[in-house]
Amino acid sequence: MLEEVKFKVLRYDPDKDGKKRFQEFRVPIRKGMTVLQGLLHIKEKIDPTLSIRFSCRMATCGSCGMMINGLPRLACYTLIEELKTRTVVVEPLRNFPIVKDLVTDFEEFFNKHRSVKPYLIRIDTYVQEKSNTMYLQSDEELVRYVQFAYCIKCGLCYAACPVVATDKTFLGPQALAQAYRYYADSRDEAGVDRLKPLGDGSSLLRCHFAASCSQVCPKGVDPALAIQLLRKEVLLRS
Amino acid sequence: MSTLLTALRTWLVPFRYGLERWSYTMQRISGVVIALYFVMHVASTGQVVGGPSVWTLPPYEYAKQVWLETKEFLANPLFDAGLVVLAFMIFFHSINGVRLVLAHFGLILKKPTRPEYPYHPGSMSRIQRVIFWVSVALATAALVYSLDVFFKVLQP
Repeated sequence: MLEEVKFKVLRYDPDKDGKKRFQEFRVPIRKGMTVLQGLLHIKEKIDPTLSIRFSCRMATCGSCGMMINGLPRLACYTLIEELKTRTVVVEPLRNFPIVKDLVTDFEEFFNKHRSVKPYLIRIDTYVQEKSNTMYLQSDEELVRYVQFAYCIKCGLCYAACPVVATDKTFLGPQALAQAYRYYADSRDEAGVDRLKPLGDGSSLLRCHFAASCSQVCPKGVDPALAIQLLRKEVLLRS
Repeated sequence: MSTLLTALRTWLVPFRYGLERWSYTMQRISGVVIALYFVMHVASTGQVVGGPSVWTLPPYEYAKQVWLETKEFLANPLFDAGLVVLAFMIFFHSINGVRLVLAHFGLILKKPTRPEYPYHPGSMSRIQRVIFWVSVALATAALVYSLDVFFKVLQP
């Protein structure tokens, strides 16, 4: 006889009644089972109408972010046994509009990501696009930004941020960490032009350094560190 | 959920996000309380009882009377308890605020490194944790001192 846990899953369907409610499922578990596997069990064996977004199942694609027992986590990266509870409460990510059940809308999140120009800006654009020239970098230059390049855009930091919760004009930890990631890259030549749009009152300076983003990041990116380093640059240079 | 409820939940519920979220919540609450205190302080001494003219126009006996009435009004345990809490908040807010300013200028942060599991965010460095706990300790000392001033808790 397999052990069972109770899954309390938030259900929401705008095409039906549009009301949010919790639905309970009993799921048999085995050692090493993840929350995503539990949800897939529900979808395959109990209720095929449950909507989930997932892809790689190995914490690389960043698709399966959701609130699990009150914290933003990747469902594929969270073992049921590590939660140490008989009830697993699963809700869609906070600070994102809900599309259906556990699926959230990332449009605003990706728009903010795009707004910081997350790509190398070079003066020699012709050489950059037409040739196979390599831009060499020392190990010290790499270490200045590589931590922030591990971001998988899962949105957990965005869901944990108390400022994003009440101020949608704030760019959020993910976009700001990426702004610093490219600013600190020795191959990038945009320089202070990257800082100028961040000098207003809301884009960057609304960060109150709650550092919840860094607590929940599944890849060790530490957006709070990137934001403080970026703020220093904005305060001193732009 | 309305924006107000979301704001209250994110401000006032620091659980499970680590020490820095506690710092955030306490800094915000103490900031609001200190700002409200300043407004009430100015209002009570300058506006509420008699208006600003009593301090500048003769007869000055009237100003003295107003001053004594105000002191009498404020001399009750409720206001004293408020000042005790305020002492804690002023000390915490100012010292923790210095930590935040230093962090904003990148002075007490760890350098970026290659992330290695288990991850330990460098944003909340050891020196920052020390300053945070120093601010809590000094604020607690201020609270105990003010408790003694107003309620004589340390005197036999």
